[in-house]
Amino acid sequence: MDNLNLGRHISGQFNEDIEAIINHVMQMGGLIEQQLSDALTAVNDTDADLVKKVIATDHKINQYEVDIDDECTRIIAKRQPAAGDLRLIMSISKSVADLERIGDDAEKIAKVALENFSSKQQDLLLNLDNLGRHVLATLQTTLDAFARMDVETALITHKNDEKIDRAYEALMRQLMTYMMEDPRSIPQIMTVIWSARALERIGDRCKNVCENIIYYVKGKIARHLSIDEMNDL
Amino acid sequence: MISVTPKPLTSQQQVQDLTNLPEEQVALKISDLNLFYGDKQALHNISMLIPKGQVTAFIGPSGCGKSTLLRCINRMNDLVDSCRISGEIILHNENIYGKHVDVAMLRRKVGMVFQRPNPFPKSIYENVIYGLRLMGEKNRRVLDEAVETSLKSAALWNEVKDRLHDSALGLSGGQQQRLVIARAIAVQPEVLLLDEPTSALDPISTLTIEELISDLKKQFTVVIVTHNMQQAARVSDQTAFMYMGELIEYSDTNTLFTTPAKKKTEDYITGRYG
Repeated sequence: MDNLNLGRHISGQFNEDIEAIINHVMQMGGLIEQQLSDALTAVNDTDADLVKKVIATDHKINQYEVDIDDECTRIIAKRQPAAGDLRLIMSISKSVADLERIGDDAEKIAKVALENFSSKQQDLLLNLDNLGRHVLATLQTTLDAFARMDVETALITHKNDEKIDRAYEALMRQLMTYMMEDPRSIPQIMTVIWSARALERIGDRCKNVCENIIYYVKGKIARHLSIDEMNDL
Repeated sequence: MISVTPKPLTSQQQVQDLTNLPEEQVALKISDLNLFYGDKQALHNISMLIPKGQVTAFIGPSGCGKSTLLRCINRMNDLVDSCRISGEIILHNENIYGKHVDVAMLRRKVGMVFQRPNPFPKSIYENVIYGLRLMGEKNRRVLDEAVETSLKSAALWNEVKDRLHDSALGLSGGQQQRLVIARAIAVQPEVLLLDEPTSALDPISTLTIEELISDLKKQFTVVIVTHNMQQAARVSDQTAFMYMGELIEYSDTNTLFTTPAKKKTEDYITGRYG
């Protein structure tokens, strides 16, 4: 919470409201991190029970999103936040929308475990897991940066999304080759493609959360900027 | 379907550089203004340009000098014996603190409305034309027209047009404040100073006055002092934050309330002060 500067409002109730909302975002983030980790493990171990758990937990994430958004609306209505407080509330409101979608993506990824893959196709899943672990690490760093509102880490993580994009493209090329070599495997490979796409999208959503951190801390909009423009922020 | 030209997106709006306005857009130029009440310095080196035809708000905690600064603009501080002023306030290329300035004429150009509505114990009609009568205007037609125009501009005409000769003291607080604004604008000032004009009013009357302020800026330059930060955010085009007699930050209102440059401003507008 290095940059959050909480607890200095004259209104103690306002301090409590903001602290509560941040705690809820952290809880939601923790749950999502666990969901993605479980989804990857479920695919790796072909664990149907773990898939069921991931599917069952997603509604909790949805509920967090609704509740946190509601808390943001109430703070705006009752406290009329300005400057840093307003940017914080806007950043939280936007970030929870991205986090909720990461939860949906984790559910999609977990469902891959329910497909039947031949032993020959197992190395496809290994490659998917590699991409997944990379994305999970990015999600963890993003949530860590969000918890501390650490703009430096956010900037680095934002730039690192390119690496995920490259890993995703490499995996796609590999999957295309498989499909050309063995058209009968297309249905299974398509499932892997959707999952890879979901992982790539998680990377993009982490990038969005990083942009929200930058907006809160620096008051500057980091969306749709080139790398050079980002360096100037 | 109503056809309305939408407001431009924020990115398409040009933010004025308040340190470098073209001369024709400047209503008031305040330079190195210092004010002392006896030994105590209440304003420290205030320099700012107030743009023409816009609303400028002064905000800050009690005792920060915002009302003092406002009162300097029509020399109300002259009435305080121990008050001493250095620096300049330029209106129409003339320092209003110059030796040959006629203060009565200055106050005609720079009208003022106070916190509590202060109608005179006269009829609504007489209240509005009070300034014109002082200026020697006797032509009934001119006076009638001034009453109608001023009350319309102050968004009060429809409520009082059938009882112009009733006592102004019978009006509600919000109506009295709009009457006082009508009285101030009847003499066609260039600048209108509003010192916490809604602090004694209920929320609906407050919104009526705020709406009126947006209309008034089409004709006058408005400078408003307010304790209500949300009001400053709603009605003003630029906002000046003052603290302990110093001008801490002065920028366009959108910037000041979303990304203030100074920590003191941020602390004040987010309620972290005290």
